[in-house]
Amino acid sequence: MIDGLLLVGGGAAAGLFGSLLGLGGGILIVPLLTLAFGIPLLNAVGVSLICVIVTSGAAAGVYLERHVANLRLGMTLELFTATGALVGGLVAFLLPERVLEVLFGGLLVYTAVTMARRRETPTAAADPPAANAHGDPAPDRRATDPSYAARLSGPGYQVHRLGFGIVGSVFAGVVSALLGIGGGLVKVPVMHIVMGVPLRVATATSNLMIGITASAGAIIYLIRGGIEPYVAAPAAIGVFLGASVGSRAAQRIDIRILRGLFVVILLYTAWQMLQRALA
Amino acid sequence: MTGSARVPADPGGAPPPDLERSIARLLTIGTYLSVGFLVVGVVLMLRSGIAPRSGGPAFDPGRLIQDVLALRPAGFIWLGLVAVVATPAARVLASLVGYVRRGERLMAVVAASILAVIALSVTLATVLES
Repeated sequence: MIDGLLLVGGGAAAGLFGSLLGLGGGILIVPLLTLAFGIPLLNAVGVSLICVIVTSGAAAGVYLERHVANLRLGMTLELFTATGALVGGLVAFLLPERVLEVLFGGLLVYTAVTMARRRETPTAAADPPAANAHGDPAPDRRATDPSYAARLSGPGYQVHRLGFGIVGSVFAGVVSALLGIGGGLVKVPVMHIVMGVPLRVATATSNLMIGITASAGAIIYLIRGGIEPYVAAPAAIGVFLGASVGSRAAQRIDIRILRGLFVVILLYTAWQMLQRALA
Repeated sequence: MTGSARVPADPGGAPPPDLERSIARLLTIGTYLSVGFLVVGVVLMLRSGIAPRSGGPAFDPGRLIQDVLALRPAGFIWLGLVAVVATPAARVLASLVGYVRRGERLMAVVAASILAVIALSVTLATVLES
């Protein structure tokens, strides 16, 4: 009974911090399950995929209802994230656990470095203006440009370099299914920096895409016995509760100190993971 | 990737609000329903004194209904896990129906292709496991 409650509590902590720091729960739930509960990495990845689908589901609904997420762009890219996840899910069962541990350690270091370098930028500064300096609305090229990328664009922004987006999506899908994360670490920068999608829209669209991306991988884990049901259920409930609380508290908490602390925790966890792999 | 499909009546990027709203509702209901099944399963699991690390029964679709009707923890947990995985696919299916109704053939093809990838995942995993 205690283990079940600890899993709910651990999942809640992962969901809460993940939500406060703008990370999916996966980056936290996998080390928690492997290092604290001694669960094999492959099974932890399977459980983590379930957790990220649960957390993204409710949030994606809100983003869609508020018209922040771009459904057309998300669906186009998730065709490729799902394909990548299918490949990643199949490859995960072929790789030795040590290789997965090294890859996950590398992911943790990458995340820590990304978080350490992140600067607070107002959303408005990151997004393209909806109107020009004269106050006229930004030209909407969707009506005049017949290309597919143009039809994926939204109000005030134009989608560019769809080919790069597709390659990035396949990579995000492979990483998601291999390491049990949502893949936002790849998708958001690709959409925002490479494709010209405003940060807020890229984040919301990435969240929408997590569901189908993680599902394509989770199905393989589920059918091939990579998900322990009695571990997955309490962890998923915990992550769901933690993420729900975190999304409400995020506006009221100064996360700069939390972020600094978290960088240290991520680096320590990466060290533990790499030590395990090399032991 | 250029589309030869019929240009929708509204050339703007956003699909009609009613489609987005229906999909949003589907996602929210699906997520809460899945978590509800998982909560029932975990409560039954804790009451039965089952240790999480005991492994638990493997996924067997043939036993799912039987286990749920018998109020077995594994039945509700597997039902919840299947609902978790199926909810995003249901969202894509709803989008497919919405785009077909609007005559947006290209987006309908995209949605159908996503469902084909999911079906391929199920098939490959089943074949490899057997």
